[in-house]
Amino acid sequence: MDIQSYIASGKLELFLLGELNEREREEVLTLAKLHPEIKKELEELEQTMFAFDELTGTQPSKAVKDKIFASLESEFKSTEEDTTAVEEPKVAKVVRLSLWKAYAAAASVVAVLAVGAALFYANKFYEKDEQFTALLQEQSVMADNLNQVKMEFEQKESQLDKIVAGDYKRVEMKGEGFDMQKDAKVDVYWDQNAQEVLVAVNNLNSLSEEYDYQLWAIGDDGPIGIGLVNPGEKFTLQQMEAVAQAGAFAITIEPKGGSESPTLEKLVVLGEVA
Amino acid sequence: MEEEQLIAGLRAKDKKTTDYLYEKYSRALFAVISRIVHDSDIAEEIFHDAFVKITKKIDRYDESKGRLYTWMANICRNSAIDKLRSKEISQSSKTNAIDDFVYGLESKSGTEAMTDGIGVRELMDQLNEDQRFIIEYIYFKGYTHSEVSEEFEIPLGTVKSRVRASLQVLKKNLDRI
Repeated sequence: MDIQSYIASGKLELFLLGELNEREREEVLTLAKLHPEIKKELEELEQTMFAFDELTGTQPSKAVKDKIFASLESEFKSTEEDTTAVEEPKVAKVVRLSLWKAYAAAASVVAVLAVGAALFYANKFYEKDEQFTALLQEQSVMADNLNQVKMEFEQKESQLDKIVAGDYKRVEMKGEGFDMQKDAKVDVYWDQNAQEVLVAVNNLNSLSEEYDYQLWAIGDDGPIGIGLVNPGEKFTLQQMEAVAQAGAFAITIEPKGGSESPTLEKLVVLGEVA
Repeated sequence: MEEEQLIAGLRAKDKKTTDYLYEKYSRALFAVISRIVHDSDIAEEIFHDAFVKITKKIDRYDESKGRLYTWMANICRNSAIDKLRSKEISQSSKTNAIDDFVYGLESKSGTEAMTDGIGVRELMDQLNEDQRFIIEYIYFKGYTHSEVSEEFEIPLGTVKSRVRASLQVLKKNLDRI
């Protein structure tokens, strides 16, 4: 794994900003355990964020601190006896409230609770909404993949239909007898009635830009070029031009685009029709 | 005080440790909130709630999932963003949040705030336009990186690398200060 490019990806920053999902968080934590560089970077970034916050911050007012500690007073385990009584002016006021004021107070408490609940659910909603958007994105990626697979499948299926429905004869072409590529192997499937020719590359070296493999049907009138063979597409059927009569098939290397007649010195494979 | 000791003290509900926590982190944590929520009364109210929450929920903090400051800063940031989104308060979107903030710091009375304000302005001047934009939206307007990506049609990967680049600039310059 390339640690530097992982660090450079910006994922650690998002981790610290709390913007990663659970799975990504786990990934960062695991990697930080495995790689000291990642751990160090995380610590430095956290330090930077703290320093930036510290620099850009102002001290909250003393009143806030007092209020916070008053709110927390009941939380603390008392190691020393509390000597100062907490001021409770609000309680004193409640006593003097008239009935309708009490209702008003109760109503405002309800309102506050309702606002609280609304905030809580709004927050939940945003969370779910984000998750939902993420799922939608994932789904659309999967749908794309599925479409592609479907297209490939349909293509294969139509080829298979052809093979099953037709009367194809398999002609094996081998490179054993020639100097070009001893281990080359290409199969021709030929339906003599339908005059269809398909080619499947089993093993064929790739060629430089200036050259192409050309397939020849060798019949009574001599060799006829019936198409170019792509060496990269292995084990898939490539459609060639129609041939009615042939005693053998052969592939030669020709200048890009193919030639009128084969360059026999560059014969790669040859197979006779049985 | 070491972080472990600090956490142990907080879990034991020790008042002195809580006081230490407050003294050490209140300024930074309050900054996280007040740069998103500009009304200082509301910011203090959020800070109050967030700090109380931090103290009460310290048992839920898991050291193996990140450092204490990050955990606390995220609680503050999320509280501020929640408040912002609750639309109880309006965020001026047309004005420049960073400039407002720096201006606010500079106009505060007291020499301490004064010096800091100048430092912040210098720091912000180190960022290029893209980085400033990212810091503005992520730090000062409470956007998530995916929101920035969607709203301004910047590829997610670009947003991420700009967040990183911005923080690198801050890191370099903060080391210097």
